[in-house]
Amino acid sequence: MSAKSSPEPAGAVPPSLGKLLPKPSAETTATIQGHEPYIRIADFNAWYGDFQALTSLTLDIPRYEVTSFIGPSGCGKSTLLKWINRMNDVVPGARAQGRLTMGDLDILDTDTDVVGLRRKIGIVFQKPNPFPKSIFDNVAFGPRLHMKVSKSDLADLVQWSLEKAAVWDEVKDRLHAPALGLSGGQQQRLCIARAIAVGPEVLLMDEPCSALDPASTLAIEDLIFELREQYTIVIVTHNMQQASRCSDKTAFFYEGRLIESGTTTSLFTKPEKKQTEDYVRGKFG
Amino acid sequence: MSIPKALQDRKFRSTSTGRLWEKLLVGLLAGCAVVTILITVGIIAMLVTQSWGFFASDAVTLEGFFWGKEWTALQSKDLDKARFGIGPLVSGTLRVTVIAMMIALPLGLVTAIYLSEFASSRIRNFLKPTLEVIAGIPTVVLGYFAILVISPSLQFLSGGELFDTFNATSAGIAVGILCLPMVCSLSEDAMRAVPRELREGAYGLGCTPFECSVKVVVPAALSGIISAFLLAFSRAVGETMVVALAAGTLPTFSADPTQQAQTMTGFIVEMIKSENEYGTVQYFSLYGVAITLFVITFAMTLAGQLIRRRFKESYA
Amino acid sequence: MSMPAALTDQDEVFQAENAAKRKRLSRVFYGVCVSIAMLSIVVLVVLLLSISWQGKTRLSSDLLRNAHSELEIEKAGMSPAIIGSLCICGVCAFAALPLGVGTAIFLEEFQPTSKPLRWLHGFVQLNIANLAGVPSIVYGLLGLSVFVFMFNVFGRIQVNESSGLELTGVTHFYQLLSLESGQTVLVPRTDLQQKTIKLESPTAGFSPSGAPIQIGIWEPGTPKPTDVNVRRRTVRKGALGGAYSKHAWYYFRLPFGQSFLAAGLTLALVILPIIIISSQEALRSVSPSLREASLGLGATRWQTARNVTLPAAMPGIMTGSILAMGRAIGEAAPILVVLGAAVAKNSGPQHLMDSVVTMPVLIFNWAGRQQHEFKELAAAAIIILLIVLLVLNSIAIFIRQKMQQPG
Repeated sequence: MSAKSSPEPAGAVPPSLGKLLPKPSAETTATIQGHEPYIRIADFNAWYGDFQALTSLTLDIPRYEVTSFIGPSGCGKSTLLKWINRMNDVVPGARAQGRLTMGDLDILDTDTDVVGLRRKIGIVFQKPNPFPKSIFDNVAFGPRLHMKVSKSDLADLVQWSLEKAAVWDEVKDRLHAPALGLSGGQQQRLCIARAIAVGPEVLLMDEPCSALDPASTLAIEDLIFELREQYTIVIVTHNMQQASRCSDKTAFFYEGRLIESGTTTSLFTKPEKKQTEDYVRGKFG
Repeated sequence: MSIPKALQDRKFRSTSTGRLWEKLLVGLLAGCAVVTILITVGIIAMLVTQSWGFFASDAVTLEGFFWGKEWTALQSKDLDKARFGIGPLVSGTLRVTVIAMMIALPLGLVTAIYLSEFASSRIRNFLKPTLEVIAGIPTVVLGYFAILVISPSLQFLSGGELFDTFNATSAGIAVGILCLPMVCSLSEDAMRAVPRELREGAYGLGCTPFECSVKVVVPAALSGIISAFLLAFSRAVGETMVVALAAGTLPTFSADPTQQAQTMTGFIVEMIKSENEYGTVQYFSLYGVAITLFVITFAMTLAGQLIRRRFKESYA
Repeated sequence: MSMPAALTDQDEVFQAENAAKRKRLSRVFYGVCVSIAMLSIVVLVVLLLSISWQGKTRLSSDLLRNAHSELEIEKAGMSPAIIGSLCICGVCAFAALPLGVGTAIFLEEFQPTSKPLRWLHGFVQLNIANLAGVPSIVYGLLGLSVFVFMFNVFGRIQVNESSGLELTGVTHFYQLLSLESGQTVLVPRTDLQQKTIKLESPTAGFSPSGAPIQIGIWEPGTPKPTDVNVRRRTVRKGALGGAYSKHAWYYFRLPFGQSFLAAGLTLALVILPIIIISSQEALRSVSPSLREASLGLGATRWQTARNVTLPAAMPGIMTGSILAMGRAIGEAAPILVVLGAAVAKNSGPQHLMDSVVTMPVLIFNWAGRQQHEFKELAAAAIIILLIVLLVLNSIAIFIRQKMQQPG
């Protein structure tokens, strides 16, 4: 897959697991001019069979910020997202080359424990996909796999996750009802709760609102904005308003290449490249 | 609310033991899959080693086996007088199978056209379960049906003595009934896989429903339908209980469907029933028949499956 | 370019006639379709009615209670066959379900991504499809070689003789007549080569019920003991005893011989491809997004299969398996090959190595006879068999509907 990564550059602070939790308060976030890069991608190429989906891509994703990937369909943004937690492992013919690291963890290394990696990097999919189980069991699914927890701790954890995902109030009276009975927006927030219940550091979201109605979309966008205080969030979206509303950094992809990346404001107000300008002005895509 | 204890503790399970466990389970599941290969290997090994006792005998020549027109393995206790020419058994199997296919293929295909092109959902909901019930009838029951109803009806319709009590036709009709649901459901699957746009195109040009189904849908689904025919043919060749009951026990080398016609499978059953001493050439001749049967059915199934795969890919 | 002649020279009369002809043809075809499709319903109705008509006089409690009898045809029944069929079906389910579902999980949930392994995967898949097309009688021959004789590795099983490798659940005795008429005593047998014993002196032994007793000897010429209890455990001097074996239900030997265990395992081979194919279809119909969700949470493939895919596919797997069981109950050819065509058996299997009669074999036997009574019996037995199948299918439908309800 890839060569072992060389020692980390001095700038990257290795994330000890405990460090995540004393979250940076809102005031400190404001004073820091951007966070240190957490996920670093360099010279990254990816293929499906003979088709090259991504070409020599270099990008840093900062910690505790929302980074959005935008671009027309088939530009490779979802491919990159799915490589970050190695969901592409199960796709026949998918392979990648280059450097992809999170802190000092080499993601592409064949020795990397995919299961542990996916616990640290959660993912939320385009269509809400709750398991055909109860709401409680959906959220408890991950913790039951990964941790040894007592019943009361598990109940606490489920409640906390649902509160974080801003869906607790709507479901607290029917935790043991089937999850498929929820509305689309509630299901998607449940999926977010399910993803954060295993204590991830990074949340990947693959067009999380594209299957939802406008009201639910707004609720989820608010949620994303809240969540970035504790999580590094990467969101793939078609919707440029969404990217501008809830992300700090934006990266624009076109035909398998990264065209431009930077703070969301600068990318949308004064893009450097012509293609970016055409896209954000809605000339294609 | 503060962060729950479970996330503060961060006591995650070690993944290395999980990995080992996972490897073990995958190995176990892979073992299950290997068993299926072992079964094929076992069948081939069993047939080859056992039929060796037959083909190696001085009383048997390969040429005589394939081209001989007399089969008396059951009738002659004396090896010198026994004749091992598989011709009569093959002719019996062919007679039964051809009659079965004459029933199952047209009827199954037309029913499939009806189900996939014309039938309303109400009729479908009625007809499909009926076909499934027919497919689920034990073959021994159809064999009994053949001697209880089909054979007397044939004798009655032909006005007397034309048909033997046990004959190839009644067995063939019963086997045909047995294969009909199979032809029907496989062909229907094939026709349903034909994209709707093709039909719309045909109707758009002013085709009648008949022309649309016969000139457009059936040709488009042809390889799927051919594979259904091959699979049904193989099923009919290997069918045992119907012919054991209804086709008679006399190997006859002819094309006459009104006579008795012992088939390859029918002979195997008779030989097993006859308490012939294990180890005699006559006994082992059943393996010679079995290996012929296996080669024929295996080749047809394989061809059918390969065509079916090709067809599935073309509309994937 | 001007319009081609074919488009300008239009004979309207011809066109109208042609259209009418084509429409008529289409209507005729439609009629043919409907009548042929309905034909299958007619066939089914005729089949059920004729068999019910033929068998209705024999549908009595005798049929369910009694065993096959050559002499008392009017009282013959199929109770051992019903029990035998269910026992065989149980063995078959026990062997084929884990193997079949396991294979299906392996093929569907652990699809390889590398090219040579994918080729192998396709090969296994094709092999299973081919196995489904192998005639059941060939499986019978395979079962005969593998389970009944075990390739003669352990020696051949002879009639009335314990042979092969007896592992557990059997004790060997000699059986001798005691002085009390109709009563026997048992003497333990150690040397399996020696087939008979001549008793000359008192020895320790067992009563037929298994209680240890001291066997006394009565010498002809001396007065016979008069007490019944003494007579029961006394034998004439020089009496001959024949070999006799007692089998516990878990009696186990290699090779299996013509036992219901061998028959059940053979049937398992027959239905294995059916179970695999239907389970695969059930697993394939589970939405891939559920699989992704589970993998995305850091579940391994096995955890995904166990916690997510398998529960979701369960109704489909159960339905397919029960239908396969129905096929197993109705299958006669492989059992005929493995167990032979004998139907004289008074009860269900007593131990694992006991032979059995099954419903289809009994029907085959009865249907092939000349006497009219047996033909009627066969029809009645078919009705019972069809009822058993109907019950099984109803259970399948019930499970499917029960498990499809959310929750």
